[in-house]
Amino acid sequence: MSTIKLPQDPIPVRRVNVYVTRDVAFDLKKMNEVTAKVLGRLGCDGCHSGRLIDYHIIEDFVVNPATLKIEDLPGGHI
Amino acid sequence: MRPLGVGLIYLPELDSLFREGNPDLSVLELEPETFWEKHYPEGPGGAPAYLPNLEAMARIAALPQRKLVHSVGFPVGGTRCYGGDYASPLADSVRDLDAAWASEHLSFNTVSNPDGLEQVGFLLPPRQTLAGVELAVSNIRRLAGAMPAPFAFETGVNYLKPRADELSDGAFFAGIAEGADCGILLDLHNLWANERNGRQPIEDVLDELPLDRVWEVHLAGGMLLEDYYLDAHSGAIAPELLDIAARVIPRLPNLGALIFEILPGYVPALGLAGVRRQLSRMSELWRLRSGERIVVPRSGAAATHGGEPPEDILQWERTLGALAVGRSPTEVHGTSDLARDPAVAVLRTLIGEFRSSRISRALHFTTILMLASWGPARVRALLAEYEDHCYPDIFTSGEADRFATFLQARLDDLPPAPYLREVLGFEHALVRAALYGERTRLQWDVDPTELFETLEQGRVPAAVGGRKLTMEIVPD
Repeated sequence: MSTIKLPQDPIPVRRVNVYVTRDVAFDLKKMNEVTAKVLGRLGCDGCHSGRLIDYHIIEDFVVNPATLKIEDLPGGHI
Repeated sequence: MRPLGVGLIYLPELDSLFREGNPDLSVLELEPETFWEKHYPEGPGGAPAYLPNLEAMARIAALPQRKLVHSVGFPVGGTRCYGGDYASPLADSVRDLDAAWASEHLSFNTVSNPDGLEQVGFLLPPRQTLAGVELAVSNIRRLAGAMPAPFAFETGVNYLKPRADELSDGAFFAGIAEGADCGILLDLHNLWANERNGRQPIEDVLDELPLDRVWEVHLAGGMLLEDYYLDAHSGAIAPELLDIAARVIPRLPNLGALIFEILPGYVPALGLAGVRRQLSRMSELWRLRSGERIVVPRSGAAATHGGEPPEDILQWERTLGALAVGRSPTEVHGTSDLARDPAVAVLRTLIGEFRSSRISRALHFTTILMLASWGPARVRALLAEYEDHCYPDIFTSGEADRFATFLQARLDDLPPAPYLREVLGFEHALVRAALYGERTRLQWDVDPTELFETLEQGRVPAAVGGRKLTMEIVPD
């Protein structure tokens, strides 16, 4: 397979190289952003005993993409 | 040594604050595991190694503030720590940052099951007995002995009701601090949460503590979940807590640092200006302390701890650990009323949110695609099914790997979602390359960048096909 290697920025803890078919027109910058988004978030959570809201943010965004903003959670429900 | 001053937990979202010459920001406290990756050099099933992000560490070390290290992954209150050598990279981070001292939590996050060690994905309260004091003392002396700086433990949050068969919170902390001959990280927000949730009042805790061992104070904001006040690190410090701190700080002769904690997800709501306001208020509090020098000694020599931990503590951990992750305990601790403590439901909710958040972080596009295709109720049901099926992993990579494996095995039985197999395969391949050094070849019949752009808008991609692309994911 004739391939090119995607750039990596920022470089994650362990470099993971992504090769794609050379003869396909391809948005390398976009693919690099997507790859960095996954590889840049693999560590451990910080110290707290409260609510981690990353999932809720995505859920709210998908349900109503026009309101992609973070707001105070008013306590929520069990 | 000279006291360090007022500071912040380091987050990339707060990085600019550390570079602007703010006189109210003298201390940077790093949670090093947030900049580690977990890796299994021998593949799945082997012992994990923990790899620090050296580039990030070098950047942080170069910031002008004095440094502290606050470990978050390997608490000192339990019988077990999850596998692998974590003490060496932790000691490296203390050395690399020239940290004045290091600290860890007085909690447990691992349980010993017949099949091996499992994580519970949360800092759970330890068994608060004399035997629990001995166990924590032994753990602290061992970890402190491996650190190139003095060591302190953090006074933990505990949502459970106080028990007749346990020591008071203050007596428990005091016994450990004296026994381990170590420092105390007095988390006033934790103690305030404990008091508000029905545990020992702060003033009574303080009356039992050796206050000359308090080197550091944490302050934070919190929120309510039903009737529970959570140590959520979710915003500004409440005025009541500022008042408490103003009464406590003059009583702490060796106070060396006053630190504000906030989670990344809540920074946008408070804003950088809001964080600056917290630092300014804390600087006013800092002026209430006295003394130009503090005494922060190293702990004594590591003690040897012989034999197995007491069965009572092992049963406590297995029972509370199982309940907290929503499983039926295979055995019931003598204190079987644990299952009736309403805090167990709170722990389950919080642990579930931790897990779904880790999954959505590493499997970002997979999560959007599932939500856009199936709706929130179906995705939440799937996440709940996964949580019943697998124990948590405190590393985002580990949790994402487990969920991706679970999801891949069910793809044929789930409703259609365009390109879910490809998107999941791509993100899982990146995670497995980092975790296990695995190499993966993927075939796309759509331009993945167009696909990801559609998902970033929260929309279901159209099943167009027609583009053929081969992708190889190859770890160094």
